[in-house]
Amino acid sequence: MTTTRCYLANDTSSRAAGAERLAEAWSGRPEIQLIRTSSRGAFFLEPMVERDTPKGREAWFNVAPDDLPLIVGGVGGTPVAEIPFLQQQTRFTFANFGMTEPLALDEYQSRGGLKGLAAARSLSPEAIVEELRISRLRGRGGAAFPVWKKWQVAQQTKSEQKYVVANADEGDAGTYCDRMIMEGDPFRLIEGMFICARAIGATRGYIYCRYEYPAAARAMRFAIQKAREEDLLDCDDYPFDLEVVIGAGSYVCGEETALLESLEGRRGVVLAKPPYPAESGLYGKPTIVSNVLTFATIPSILARGGAWHASLGTEDSRGTMALQLGGRVKQPGLVEIPFGLTLRDVLDRFGGGMAPGSRFKAVQVGGPLGSLFPESKLDIPVCYDAFAKAGAILGHGGIVAYDDETNMVELARHFMAFTADESCGKCTPCRIGSVRGREILEHIQAGEGTAESLNLLRELGETMKATSLCALGGRASYPVLTAMEHFPNEFRSKLSAFSSQQ
Amino acid sequence: MTTRHKTQLAETLKTGRPVPPDKPNILKTLLTVQSTLGHVPANVISQIAQVLGVTDAQVAGVLSYYPDLRTQSPGRHLIRVCTGESCTANHGGLVLRAIQDCVRNVIGDSAQSERFTVERMSCAGNCAVSPTVMIDGDFCGRVSPSDVSSLLERYR
Repeated sequence: MTTTRCYLANDTSSRAAGAERLAEAWSGRPEIQLIRTSSRGAFFLEPMVERDTPKGREAWFNVAPDDLPLIVGGVGGTPVAEIPFLQQQTRFTFANFGMTEPLALDEYQSRGGLKGLAAARSLSPEAIVEELRISRLRGRGGAAFPVWKKWQVAQQTKSEQKYVVANADEGDAGTYCDRMIMEGDPFRLIEGMFICARAIGATRGYIYCRYEYPAAARAMRFAIQKAREEDLLDCDDYPFDLEVVIGAGSYVCGEETALLESLEGRRGVVLAKPPYPAESGLYGKPTIVSNVLTFATIPSILARGGAWHASLGTEDSRGTMALQLGGRVKQPGLVEIPFGLTLRDVLDRFGGGMAPGSRFKAVQVGGPLGSLFPESKLDIPVCYDAFAKAGAILGHGGIVAYDDETNMVELARHFMAFTADESCGKCTPCRIGSVRGREILEHIQAGEGTAESLNLLRELGETMKATSLCALGGRASYPVLTAMEHFPNEFRSKLSAFSSQQ
Repeated sequence: MTTRHKTQLAETLKTGRPVPPDKPNILKTLLTVQSTLGHVPANVISQIAQVLGVTDAQVAGVLSYYPDLRTQSPGRHLIRVCTGESCTANHGGLVLRAIQDCVRNVIGDSAQSERFTVERMSCAGNCAVSPTVMIDGDFCGRVSPSDVSSLLERYR
């Protein structure tokens, strides 16, 4: 009997969708050899099984254990190149996904890995920063700060010890691309961090990984060990040591100063800036804190040149963005495309519309602090500039669609309760404002609110925006206020009968 | 604490003692203690503070700050239900209720009261296959309320 080589994703979401069940059911079957790869990110098709054909890979979707004869017989597969969800994407950072075994360094290299590092090695630290300036890369974690500026400050600050920290505390609800990178292409993160270390002169790096991502932490630790064994982190007499550190479930630790506090083992409380971490960060030393996705974008930029990166996207948002579709869309998954497509097109072309039986109500972009968009506002291009102009954020690229069953008052309460739970307590507007905001919304929900409650909520929101220390308090009111703006009747209809007569 | 726990704790703390120039790391130490004992009992705060050379208040402060550090021992099976936006949009709330109902039936039997702990968790990062339930560290995706009883059957 011939053995068919098949590919099955091994990341957390694919396993949660049933990949593990297939692997268990088929273990020991002589007709099939399963290679566990990263996931392509088309999660609505997972568990998806692929096999090689003379014309490239073919795939079977939403596979059940009984489908094995079909796959082995080559019946009913779809060429991967013809899956519209994937076909329409422009993948650079996620080019390896679905293709390689995450922890196989040779596969990473054979698909262009380490070319960015090789290019960086032939450049002076100043030239690496210059390449990033030309690329016009902005941080992908949420704040969208120009990456080269940070690097330049850290480079020019004199210190015997500097640090590189990857922010892998991916707490924004609706986002999962950092997890995918760490589980699916860990060497890319290592390469990006190492390039940064060379540019600023750092010798130690940390990956601050959230507690909820045990598989990502395992993959990263394994990959670091392998990189060390292969002398990847020790070239040209330039030693760089990398360590994975686990957080403990605090959302605000995704803010860079809180993250560094937590990395030092203290309460993850936000600090006032300046000084910025690039001048005085971990243990008071110059530190670059960037999101996992940002670091993972850097190898391609060094390998292909900054001008290549600057040629993609829109005026102020160059390159590609990893959008993560979730909620009630028909086709949730990872979408890497150049900036500039409208939100409507993203939802239609990639999301495939709404899940069967449900109708669109609103979409939230940028995690729990992101604004809500109703149907009439979907023609906004997905890029930093347009979102900033609309008073919204792109954040870390999470897009969650809500259907017509969604109760907007309850959703608004959910957002305020989230901030009240996660506030670090350092500044008053966030610590107390979020609790009062939640109480007002509970009051409205209970039918005891008046028109005055809505005014109070608005005023509270504006105060929190203007006076909070970090984005948690500063942005907490955006989803609440946009819910009130776009769905006013839902809030008004909850007010007490006495007030509506007024 | 049992004698076994005390020995385990002493062993853990031996490795937690910072060697200069390394500085004491309270969070890292507490996570190590938790992975050994399953939780961080309040009565070990002083011991930890002593080993690290910090105050009791500093240790207690870190312990109370982080949601994933627990001072109570969880049940034998820890069920965490995601309350992130994608799970909420996909009726994760109904799944949570179904799990609570199902578990209430089990722990109604007092002998089984320490079998399950049910918690909400903030986004699990499993949004593309939501709603998500995490049982003893394993992720389950696309969980519907009707799946709950068969899902929990394995852990009864």
